[in-house]
Amino acid sequence: MLGGASQGLGKNNKWSLFTSSLSFALLVVAVILGDSRPAYTLPLPRVQAIPAFARKYGLPCSACHEAWPKLNNFGQTFKDNGYQLGNDRDAPIWQQPTYWPIALRITPHWHRENTDHMGVYDPVTDSIVSRSVTTHGFDLTGMDMLTAGTLSKNISFLLVPSSDNTGAFHFESVNVRFSNLLNTSWLNVKVGKFELDNMVSEKRIMTLSANGGMFQLYHFLPAGDYQTSGDPRFVGFGLGDNQLGVEVSGHSRNDYTRYSVALLSSNDGNVNLPTGRGYDTYLTFSQAFNAGSLGLQRVGAYTYIGQAPTNFPLDSNLNFIPGAGTGNEKFYRVGFFGLWYIKKLDFTTMFMHGSESAYLYSGTPSGQTLPFGAQDPKWNGGWIETHYTLNPQFILIQRYELIRMSQQGNTGNPSNLGDMDALTFGYRYYPFMTSRAGFAFHNEYSRVRQRGTGVLPGQDLTTNSVFAGLDFIF
Amino acid sequence: MRSKHVFMAGVAVLAAAAMAVAAPSGGTISGKVTYEGTPAKQKVIDMSKEPSCAKQYTTPPTGEAVVTGAGNSLHNVVVYISAGAPDGGSAPAQAVTFTQKGCRYIPHVAVLQVNQELKVVNEDQTSHNIHPLAKANREWNKSQPPGSPAISEKFDKEEFIPVKCNVHPWMHGTFAVLKTSHYAVTGDSGGFTLPNLPPGKYTITAWHESYGTQTQDVTITGGETKSVNFVFKAKAY
Amino acid sequence: MKTKVPSKRLLCLSALAILALPSLGSAQESHIGKLTGHADSGKQLYRRFCIGCHGPRGDGQGENAPYVTPQPRNFVAATFKCRSTVTGTLPTDEDLFNAITRGFNTTNMPSWAPLTEQQRADLVAYVKTFSERWKNEKPGTPIEVPAETPVTLESINHGKELFQKLECWKCHGPEGRGDGPAASTLTDSNDQPIRPYNFSAGTRFKCGTTNQDLYKIFITGVDGTPMPSFADVIKPNEAWDLVHYLRTLQVSRKGPESDLLKAHGGAAKAADKSGK
Repeated sequence: MLGGASQGLGKNNKWSLFTSSLSFALLVVAVILGDSRPAYTLPLPRVQAIPAFARKYGLPCSACHEAWPKLNNFGQTFKDNGYQLGNDRDAPIWQQPTYWPIALRITPHWHRENTDHMGVYDPVTDSIVSRSVTTHGFDLTGMDMLTAGTLSKNISFLLVPSSDNTGAFHFESVNVRFSNLLNTSWLNVKVGKFELDNMVSEKRIMTLSANGGMFQLYHFLPAGDYQTSGDPRFVGFGLGDNQLGVEVSGHSRNDYTRYSVALLSSNDGNVNLPTGRGYDTYLTFSQAFNAGSLGLQRVGAYTYIGQAPTNFPLDSNLNFIPGAGTGNEKFYRVGFFGLWYIKKLDFTTMFMHGSESAYLYSGTPSGQTLPFGAQDPKWNGGWIETHYTLNPQFILIQRYELIRMSQQGNTGNPSNLGDMDALTFGYRYYPFMTSRAGFAFHNEYSRVRQRGTGVLPGQDLTTNSVFAGLDFIF
Repeated sequence: MRSKHVFMAGVAVLAAAAMAVAAPSGGTISGKVTYEGTPAKQKVIDMSKEPSCAKQYTTPPTGEAVVTGAGNSLHNVVVYISAGAPDGGSAPAQAVTFTQKGCRYIPHVAVLQVNQELKVVNEDQTSHNIHPLAKANREWNKSQPPGSPAISEKFDKEEFIPVKCNVHPWMHGTFAVLKTSHYAVTGDSGGFTLPNLPPGKYTITAWHESYGTQTQDVTITGGETKSVNFVFKAKAY
Repeated sequence: MKTKVPSKRLLCLSALAILALPSLGSAQESHIGKLTGHADSGKQLYRRFCIGCHGPRGDGQGENAPYVTPQPRNFVAATFKCRSTVTGTLPTDEDLFNAITRGFNTTNMPSWAPLTEQQRADLVAYVKTFSERWKNEKPGTPIEVPAETPVTLESINHGKELFQKLECWKCHGPEGRGDGPAASTLTDSNDQPIRPYNFSAGTRFKCGTTNQDLYKIFITGVDGTPMPSFADVIKPNEAWDLVHYLRTLQVSRKGPESDLLKAHGGAAKAADKSGK
């Protein structure tokens, strides 16, 4: 999702043009498409596997990654310890002067997308009709430059300039972390733009395709939500989006117990304070259990309590003053997850309950009368992701994700409007495993169906993706 | 594998028994070890960091990696029967003593039979550590401060083991652990004698710590003395 | 269906029996407390975590070995630094387990504590398959570490005396800063330069952090390095005196030894011969 998701449709001119000329129903379609990735948008590589570390320490990728980019507990501990192995060789003073902590990742690939019930203009009848649209061809993803390391003992940094596949850059991550404050692993402070402390990290997702390369749940907003209309004053929210703020975190020495608390600017990670002056809070806690020869099991819980402005003061030219928004209305996400290992087989289970204020859903200024039938939308979602790691060089991946609305944002909506089912499966094969670079063959299929968001009332929007790529990182 | 070992050991025991009866008379191999070319000049050892040793020398000693004598004789060469002779049987009861004196090893090359006792003695007024850099045997490393009792050790595999004292980097020696009891170390004249050899075909190996090994095959038919000479090429470095 | 069950069972049993045969040699297993590590599981973990430095053959010649100082351990040689056993003998399974868990300070070897105990035990079992020594020899007997004597000024002072008498300072330097007269000439068993431990630089030793660990280090020696065993030359109570003195050299560490010394003026006096 990266920049694309955080700015909703605003960034996608094709779509905003399209939507502005159509009815509310079509807007809904566009919203959904925007969120579930229409046929011709692609996710940027969001992935953080950093061969610069492998080069620094001489460890193969597999030491820190179950299969890159997915971390194992050793890699997680390394990350949580501020990119330090803790053997007094972490500080840059120990590195060769020629060492540069930079890694580049890009994924040339072939992909095919098919969307059913897409609105298409029919010149014969001069109307919008429902069609199935298929695209395919060779393509690029965007590119991530991952630079990360230590500035000094217990001071680490992560800087990820990231481009889309046209080469337009933004800063995906920019943060500095002070680790092991007061000489304890229980106190670390991170400042900047960073990924929320998700143990189920979307930055380390194992799937890459247009539809499968994201956790739908992490970016889900209900069908018809005004926050995805493209109005720049509403940036929406995605749990998978990197946020701007400060994070206090800590963990036991072996990383079995982890917590983190973050205070974040209510701008969904967008720079220049585009909306208001609110702050959000994110809390998470997890605990791992050693299950003998089965492996390490982990359960955790998280909650994000956020707000977004609905009143927008105007300047003398009657332009909105960015960052000065008031009338904050609340939204929240809460959930729990499990990471379950049965030797080479592992499962990720995720549950989330989400809700937001009817004012945000309808784009109504706080204190004013809500549109008829408006209410707080609520939804539940979850997924099960399964990995079979045959060996460090081959992994099978499968994920089934579903999202169900428990309360629509408007009493007039069909009760299942926006409900989503997403199935993704694929494999990654790493033909060699060194400590210098990473290379993977990646094949994947993904199918996403969303209820009632097709072009005609009652139609489901279904998209299919096939992805075959060469994933490389140096 | 195991049964083969047992068989071999049995043969060895039989052979040893036969030897015990047939010995002592037998053939003899003798000769001289020399070098050709110009050996590198041995550096003078700087013992200034260890005054208690330095004061034991009127002229500072030189390194012992190559020690030569008159007539191009080469010292500290271990000449032994590497094939053809039965194993030495059980190790001699007498221990081999290896003395640290004046921050040098005496002898520079100590020859032991497998499982023969080694006694390491420190006669200096400084601590040494005895560190045999064994590969086939166990690598150990023991400190021996002045006045400590002798260290007693054994090695159970055939190997030429470099030994050093890490504190005094010039101290290098060798524990030559051999299976055979037929061995000699060349001294001042470079000469050696391997007596009491029953008739048979033998491989004689000469080993030098800097110049490597050479072998020659010799057949003994009776009580004769065969002359075998080794000439090592001196390396200039 | 019913008739099939016994035959299946039989098959399983015989398969088990076949599997069990090679594992009769204890080299395929490790035993740490109640844990039993298995070399076959360890092999896969080794491939994942260890191969980059220690190499596919366990000879310490992994692809990164040329860039790593000190060099990665050569498991074929089976010489191990951190042991509870006398110099020259094989370490116990627990010693290897602890080494993997702890990592080696100021080397490239990190702590593998994030791995589960079972995984670490499996790795121990696999590491032992690289050398025939594990088949032919038993691990050495762990040395006895007697109860620690009280930390007293006399103990510290006597420890300093030992530090001088045993000539620890020749390598470690008069203040334990790793700058003794012989320090610059030291090489490990692979002829690579190696630095003596600098007590002032940190609070951890290569082989642990506790007083007991320190006791073990100089009694057993650090095999493969210039650090010899002092087992035959230090009596147990004297060894504790040396431990107490060495702790005061760790200037960045707060501990009872340093505190006591500070309370008494800050400098140990070696000349004090207080009846030890």
